[in-house]
Amino acid sequence: MHVKYLSRVQISANHSLLSEIVVNEANFVRKCIGAESCQDDLWGKLVCTNFKVSFIAHNSLPRQRFQCTHRLLGEHDIPLACVEQVVTVNDVKGKQKILGSNQKLKFNPTELILYCKDFRIIRFRFDEAGPESAKKVCLAIAHYSHPADPQLLFGFEYVGKRYHGSTGERVNGVDPGGGLQTPLFDCSSDWDREIKRTGASEWRVCTINQGYFISPSLPEFFVVPVSLADQDLKQYACCFYSQRIPLWCWNHSSGSALVRMSNISDPQQQRKVEQRISSAITKSHPLRSDVFKSDLDKNLPNIQDIQAALLKLRQICVIDSFEESEEKWLSSLESSRWMEYVRTFLRHAVEVVYMLESRHVSVILLEKEDRDLSCVISCLVQLMCDPHCRSLHSFQGLIQKEWVMAGHRFLDRCNHLKRNDKEESPVFLLFLDCVWQLWNQYPAAFEFTEVYLTVLGDSMWVPVFSTFLFNCPRQRAEHSRDFASSKSIHLGQDQALCFPPVWDWSQQFSLKDQTLFNNPLYVGKIATCVQNGTVKTFTHRRSKKNYSSTLRGLPSALRNGSLGPNDTLTRRNSLMLRLRSDLSQVREQQETPSERFVRDFFSRPVDLQGLLLPQLLPSHLSVWKLYFLRWVPEAQIPQGGPITAFHKLSVLTDEIEMLQNQLRQYQGAAGTPNNLHAEHSKMYFKATSTPHQSPAPPEYLSSSFPFSPVGNLCRPGILGTPLSKLLNGAKIWLSTETLANETI
Amino acid sequence: MEESDSVESLCSSTTTRSDRSSGTRVSDTELRSKGRVIEKVLQCKYPSKGELPLLPEEHVQDSAKDVTYICPFIGPVRGSLSVTNYRLFFRCTDREPVFGLDLPLGVLSRVEKIGAATSRGDVSYGLACKDMRNLRFVHKEPEDSLKKSVFEVLMKFAFPVSNNMSLFAFEYKQVFPENGWKVYDPLAEYKRQGLPNESWRISKVNDHYELCDSYPAALVVPVTITDEELRRVSSFRAKGRIPVLSWIHPESQAAVVRASQPMVGQNGRRCKEDEKLLQAIMDANAQSHKMFIFDARPSVNAAANKMKGGGYESEDAYQNAELVFLDIHNIHVMRESLRKLKEVVYPNIEDSHWLSNLESTHWLEHIKLILAGALRIADKVESGKTSVVVHCSDGWDRTPQLTSLALIMLDSHYRTIRGFQILLEKEWLSFGHRFQQRVGHGDKNHTDADRSPIFLQFIDCVWQMTRQFPAAFEFNEYFLITILDHLYSCLFGTFLCNSEQQRLKEEVPKHTVSLWSFVNSQLEEFVNPLYVGYPSHVLFPTVGIRHLQLWVTYYIRWNPRMRPQEPVHQRYKELLAKRAELQKRVEELQREAANRTASSSSERAGSPTRSITPVQTFV
Repeated sequence: MHVKYLSRVQISANHSLLSEIVVNEANFVRKCIGAESCQDDLWGKLVCTNFKVSFIAHNSLPRQRFQCTHRLLGEHDIPLACVEQVVTVNDVKGKQKILGSNQKLKFNPTELILYCKDFRIIRFRFDEAGPESAKKVCLAIAHYSHPADPQLLFGFEYVGKRYHGSTGERVNGVDPGGGLQTPLFDCSSDWDREIKRTGASEWRVCTINQGYFISPSLPEFFVVPVSLADQDLKQYACCFYSQRIPLWCWNHSSGSALVRMSNISDPQQQRKVEQRISSAITKSHPLRSDVFKSDLDKNLPNIQDIQAALLKLRQICVIDSFEESEEKWLSSLESSRWMEYVRTFLRHAVEVVYMLESRHVSVILLEKEDRDLSCVISCLVQLMCDPHCRSLHSFQGLIQKEWVMAGHRFLDRCNHLKRNDKEESPVFLLFLDCVWQLWNQYPAAFEFTEVYLTVLGDSMWVPVFSTFLFNCPRQRAEHSRDFASSKSIHLGQDQALCFPPVWDWSQQFSLKDQTLFNNPLYVGKIATCVQNGTVKTFTHRRSKKNYSSTLRGLPSALRNGSLGPNDTLTRRNSLMLRLRSDLSQVREQQETPSERFVRDFFSRPVDLQGLLLPQLLPSHLSVWKLYFLRWVPEAQIPQGGPITAFHKLSVLTDEIEMLQNQLRQYQGAAGTPNNLHAEHSKMYFKATSTPHQSPAPPEYLSSSFPFSPVGNLCRPGILGTPLSKLLNGAKIWLSTETLANETI
Repeated sequence: MEESDSVESLCSSTTTRSDRSSGTRVSDTELRSKGRVIEKVLQCKYPSKGELPLLPEEHVQDSAKDVTYICPFIGPVRGSLSVTNYRLFFRCTDREPVFGLDLPLGVLSRVEKIGAATSRGDVSYGLACKDMRNLRFVHKEPEDSLKKSVFEVLMKFAFPVSNNMSLFAFEYKQVFPENGWKVYDPLAEYKRQGLPNESWRISKVNDHYELCDSYPAALVVPVTITDEELRRVSSFRAKGRIPVLSWIHPESQAAVVRASQPMVGQNGRRCKEDEKLLQAIMDANAQSHKMFIFDARPSVNAAANKMKGGGYESEDAYQNAELVFLDIHNIHVMRESLRKLKEVVYPNIEDSHWLSNLESTHWLEHIKLILAGALRIADKVESGKTSVVVHCSDGWDRTPQLTSLALIMLDSHYRTIRGFQILLEKEWLSFGHRFQQRVGHGDKNHTDADRSPIFLQFIDCVWQMTRQFPAAFEFNEYFLITILDHLYSCLFGTFLCNSEQQRLKEEVPKHTVSLWSFVNSQLEEFVNPLYVGYPSHVLFPTVGIRHLQLWVTYYIRWNPRMRPQEPVHQRYKELLAKRAELQKRVEELQREAANRTASSSSERAGSPTRSITPVQTFV
């Protein structure tokens, strides 16, 4: 027994990182697994380190085959940054206390409940543990999950270790930027490339903020109109909130620019400065078009609204008992306003797209600080307009550009220090939800999957990535300088500590697990591969077959009889689906031009490599179930969910890849041996050795895949937990027999 | 090319649009239409330019120019209206591109004049449809008072039954390569289930529908019960609908049995034979000494039925049987719920309160209760290995909803296209769901309290399951929508009459075309490309409201702001085509290589050698 125990510890030691220190621990702790009984509960040791809350189980759960192994976190680990609330309970005395930093606890806890930012609820019982050690470990968790200083966030220790080894050696696997294809926009060359790519010839990279001497929240490099000299910019800077000179985001192919700007703090200068900026932007437009100002603060919910919405959403998704929330699910969902906000942001982005795309004017996104709402809108606009942004690396580059470099206050919005709840707001998650809605409506247009979006959201709570640790690039530089000097680290050539960006996914996942990010439906590159007529003929047929459209009319291309479907196909890249819901005959009296623009868009076949606008009827937005409901056992569809379709598509795409390899082999281009394929396949689910037989989806798939509700959502409930309630109540879904089968 | 115009019009009750490059074309706006039928299969008249595409035996009855269609989305549209013995056809004349409406008269539930004629002699007509929309037309009354208005003609042909005429299905004489009336052979289906066997026999007691006129001729009952005993049971069960087997588990022998309510009454009447029958059903399953009786109704309703002589099984009389109420409401509640839903989705959706409005219709809640009930039944049979008896009051509404959904969960055969047809033929049609009454084919009495969207609800439940298990069903969404469209169209004989006996008496199979003839002659239209046929796989859907969604592509299909989502299926087909193409090239190269080396054994192990059939479907 003793030997076995040791070996467990060793296994878990794989997950403990260099520089990770155990702060406190308690033995004979029980982790609650099933909600309705304790028979599945795990016994083990609860450990608090400076990075995470860890549970080292003596008896382990039957390992689910699909589980991704997180490289930084074990199966039962929760990073301290992910802990939202630490609640201790003594159910004998009927006492309960929410623990903060440096607090006292007057009772011996029998239970510890950790509410996590990623919607998990984890429970530990101390029935058999020593009361003192139980209390201590609870206090330690509470204390360490409220770090007093950013430099106490684990990322610093984690990265700092790198500099203690011999130079060049990788400690903790940090590989700064090496092999990373994602542009970080922390150097002028990334910006130069972006200017070239978008054809923004009248814009230039500006370096006046090097050393952050002009604006504390701007990056060192950013892009401005060529007509504005550095001297002018320096002069204008002081008029803007936090000296934020307006930032160029992106250029539309028509030459219209998307620019973001903070409020002008000096009212006397306002008109003058505004005019100067506007006229400079106009000068940079090939048509000298006007500039349209879009006031985001006026039209969008503020950060507190967004935070309140998420809290309500969380309440109904995971905190309220399943049965109770079930009855009023729809109206509660509505009153959380989360979906409404998602729709508002998408709709606003569509308005901006209309100005750029149809009116050919440049747009300034105006927000008081230009660090929250503009991040969302500018990204959404680019995702809708620019197919380039829909590939995985460019999407990451987009977030780098519009969030990280533009100075979204990740540290405050994530509330990593748990200092100021008023500053906490899930703006980034809201953005991910908006992207998910687009993805959900056009799944073949994006290179990534919803698993990717979910994992990206979760990574905010793993505090080792440069991406989510700081409020702005300057803060990162300052903190790492301070940290380096306090720890006598010689940074050498580096200007700052080299935190890995979250985009270095191998920090968290194996290459195999990373293939879960690859969307088998993505048309981006495959489209160009099809040359002969097969697919064209097919697409042609498709256009006739479509039955689900609504308003019908003649496609405009055919009206004059001169254009055949094939002409359209050639023009639009042959693989594009030809969905025809022709609304062109619709004429509404009170239609605004932007409504007309949207309607026109919907009357044309979709070009997945072109403009994409979301459908915005309230009935057409859905809840992002994988993110919000993945931990809810009652909401899980065993052996079902979209993943079962994904599985089949993945296998097919893998077969195609295999055939392409074979072709290459025959053509003698590269002598790739057959077995290489398996290692380099982009798909998570591989083709079987006997092609053309659809393999049944593996039994472990569920709508929560690759996550599992097991042990991750134990709602505290004294009178019967949700499952047992279900079993005893009038509205029973499954008998115990089935449930027993499923939990295995 | 032109023939397809007329062909298309029968693809769905709502039909046609086309995007071919010549000819005058009418596209129906605000109609969810679908594409095309395989042109080779169907032969129709070739209408020349400007003529209406007509089906065989379809004739124009009247037409009128200068009719205005008040479209709720785009405002008034002027055009001409034609009425045939099958459909209404509206084509606008004053706008480009051409705009049109084309709907079978069968979808109309009500046609009425709204208000009196205006000073200019305009009269307004409202058409309420069974498929979630309302249409409004304005039309000048004919000056000649002897001449009938086109709307009077419309009313006559929209409600043939009320006017002593026959439904169009009896005139439509299209010939299809397959005869859909042969899809379902009860004995073959029972044989597939391994019946008869040592415990169950096929009784001929209802051969001439004497025992029960709403039941099929072939009934599966326990071997230990004689026909005489069955007759006595029939007097104890409402409408003579005795407990008979629907499905038997291939391994555990647990059975799904359906019935109507026992006529217990206020005095607690008992029936020895009925008790014996249920005991025999339990005994036929050696795995369990228990049985569940699922009463679909709320217990209050079940108790109230005692006043009318009905009721439910008492535990005294039926020992070892556990009675469970499933809380599903009656046809009137469902009708009201759909009415509210229509108000919420048609014509426009209110932006701000969509979810709470949807909640207030209770539609999804009803769907949930039905699915939850079916899930409990399937679970008892599969996991509990226990036989179940399912009934409601008469056993022809909630009962087929529950049994057929449970069967879809339990038996993967019913998730195939043909299997699903068999399921409908068996559980709904042969066991006497009163389609004529519930839909009111050709009947102008739109307020008839017997009408109710029971079948629609069932199809909605099936759709919900296809959403949760996208790879488990052979058919696609379009298949389900086609079924619903032809539930109302009266083009096919499938959903006519109330029972097997009536259909035989009216010689429906002889005089009409089956919907399955049409469907099975162009199966590829209805295939879900993501289907993975894995046998012996039981589906347990999640029935929480969180996982139920409104079927927007059906209920909101008339809204022009609604647009189909980028279909994954389409992309999948493209990938299939790509795979086939690559395969061809690999094979070519293989052959070349083989020729070059002149060796016979150059084929590599594992290289695909046969080409893939799916390509042919879209070449």
